[in-house]
Amino acid sequence: MASLDIANVKKAYGDVEVIRDVSIGVPDGAFVVLVGPSGCGKSTLLRMIAGLEDISGGTISIGGKVINEVEPKNRDIAMVFQNYALYPHMTIAENMGFSLRLAGRPKPEIAQRVEDAARILGLSDYLGRYPKQLSGGQRQRVAMGRAIVRNPQVFLFDEPLSNLDAKLRVQMRAELKELHARLKTTMIYVTHDQIEAMTMADFIVVMRDGVVEQMGAPLALYDTPSNLFVAGFIGSPAMNQLPGRLVADENGSRFVGAGDIAWPLETSIRTDRPVTLGIRPEHLVPAPDGQGVPARIKLIEQTGSETYVIAHFGETPIVALFRQRLPLAIGDTISLTLAPGAAHLFDTETGQRLTA
Amino acid sequence: MLKRRRWIFSLVAILPVLAIFAYVRVYPIGEILRLSLHKWDILSREKPFIGLANFQELFGDSLFRTALFNTSIIAFGVLIITLPLALVLAALIHHRTRSRFASFYETTIFIPHVVSLVPAAMAWKWIFDARLGPLNAVLSVFGIPPQAWLFDPVLSIVSIIVLCSWQALGFAVLIYLVGFKNLPKSLFEASKLDGASGIQQFWFVAVPLLKPITLYVSVATLVSAFNVYAQVYVLASDAQGAPGRQVRVLVLDMLENTFRNYRVGYAASEAVVLLVIVLILTAIQFSLLREKGTR
Ligand SMILES: Nc1ncnc2c1ncn2[C@@H]1O[C@H](COP(=O)(O)OP(=O)(O)OP(=O)(O)O)[C@@H](O)[C@H]1O
Ligand SMILES: [Mg+2]
Repeated sequence: MASLDIANVKKAYGDVEVIRDVSIGVPDGAFVVLVGPSGCGKSTLLRMIAGLEDISGGTISIGGKVINEVEPKNRDIAMVFQNYALYPHMTIAENMGFSLRLAGRPKPEIAQRVEDAARILGLSDYLGRYPKQLSGGQRQRVAMGRAIVRNPQVFLFDEPLSNLDAKLRVQMRAELKELHARLKTTMIYVTHDQIEAMTMADFIVVMRDGVVEQMGAPLALYDTPSNLFVAGFIGSPAMNQLPGRLVADENGSRFVGAGDIAWPLETSIRTDRPVTLGIRPEHLVPAPDGQGVPARIKLIEQTGSETYVIAHFGETPIVALFRQRLPLAIGDTISLTLAPGAAHLFDTETGQRLTA
Repeated sequence: MLKRRRWIFSLVAILPVLAIFAYVRVYPIGEILRLSLHKWDILSREKPFIGLANFQELFGDSLFRTALFNTSIIAFGVLIITLPLALVLAALIHHRTRSRFASFYETTIFIPHVVSLVPAAMAWKWIFDARLGPLNAVLSVFGIPPQAWLFDPVLSIVSIIVLCSWQALGFAVLIYLVGFKNLPKSLFEASKLDGASGIQQFWFVAVPLLKPITLYVSVATLVSAFNVYAQVYVLASDAQGAPGRQVRVLVLDMLENTFRNYRVGYAASEAVVLLVIVLILTAIQFSLLREKGTR
């Protein structure tokens, strides 16, 4: 177990900068999820931590020791690859024990540690098989087993669940969390799936184009996204973003936007610049007649526990989520208003969150 | 219905190829098998059937036994030198793939394979020359007395093995390089994180995964080495004014039996023995290298 410190790290391939000045402090034992759209540099950052890519600038330290120039095998990290990267010519036991064998550990010790890891992961019955003879989920577990056996300071995961079907993914997510609770080892987990990030992380780092957009606890990111990108990225369905202006007069503040939107807001923010109102689907609530803003319902999706309504304010589409069942039909008009304190305001041009 | 039509189309499409293949490959083999059971002197119209008499005679024929022995030594010698050397060279070239000289290395190693055999062999004849050859000159620098490379019964076979390996190497390296390029990169990264050094990656990851390639290269090398002829003809045969003793190999013996002794049936039986040997060796290699389990 160790803390991990990424300080002003850069990565360039020739003239192309793919990681630009990233700094992340990971406390000992934390489960950190790096999340961001495809190509934002998540894997590159992870591979730099692992030592599979050179670091172009800045420093990475594990347990306070700078490891920029340390050989991968001496960094005491283990990595789980997206495609598992199991050795096809070795049995499961051999796969899991390979690092110990290379380290020259005695055979009984290797067997013991492999068995222990296999028991944790429910792989005891498969130790004599070859990777080809296992299912995707089992292979995934072997890849984790290979990492666990080494008892490393830091675990790195690069989209380990993306090759699994939806049901297995949910199951493995839980198992991985449980594993973290048991081992209490620092884990860095890369994904482009914000649900995985929200459900698993102690701490989320949202990246875009090689820079960190925001980091923090999952709910902190959800409740106070610091810019439009994070606002749109975290949460599913995504936050509604309505362009408009803030109008303040003796009656208080109002948000005025396209499609005859005019909602009173309780905010002390004053600006003449164009703003974007961010509103989560669950924070749009049906208003009593005569209040709120009318919207025409285009689509209704029922999941049983929730109702998603896609409606238009004039030409502006929005998504609303209701936990209660409402007597709604496509083509109806529904009057919507904001839940108190639920509005997020962003500067439309800079995308930054506006604070009072 | 559609499936069947497609099946028929496929069949018709490959039929010409199959026909040519049968004519140039299968038919001669059948013909050799038939001839080996007959006595024929090329000229006469009679080809009496003599059963296995040719084969019986073969095993008492000391010239044939010498040829078989020499050929086997040469073939396995070439295999033992070429296979590991090609694997290591391919690994080194692959390791340096991003270097500017990668294609230079590849070309250099492949050239011997495309150079015309006889001139190349002539060059090697000069290299091995006892009095004028650079090989002995180099050896003398290290204080080793000059060797009669092409005279000595053992050394002349060694010389042939060296020449054949030099030629076979380029092909083997090329095939191995393709194999290396197809190995998944993530396995090497995973093994790097597992703590494997370059040599350990080679030994524990690359070599086992290249087994199918090794199988192919070893079969191809062995089969072509069993057919060794021109190299021997240039380096160590009387027709070329071999300095000393002639190294008799199977193909040479067959040619002599056919065109000097006019015993075509007898030569055909030698060809059958060669065929059987090659088939057996291939079968052994397949079973040795068959991959474990059902992966
Ligand atoms: N060897 C390379 N040479 C040049 N550019 C590269 C190289 N490897 C990656 N890149 C670039 O670096 C950027 C980040 O790549 P990276 O693999 O880290 O993305 P990612 O966030 O993991 O995306 P994904 O979710 O698709 O896996 C991409 O724009 C990619 O094109
Ligand atoms: Mg990636």
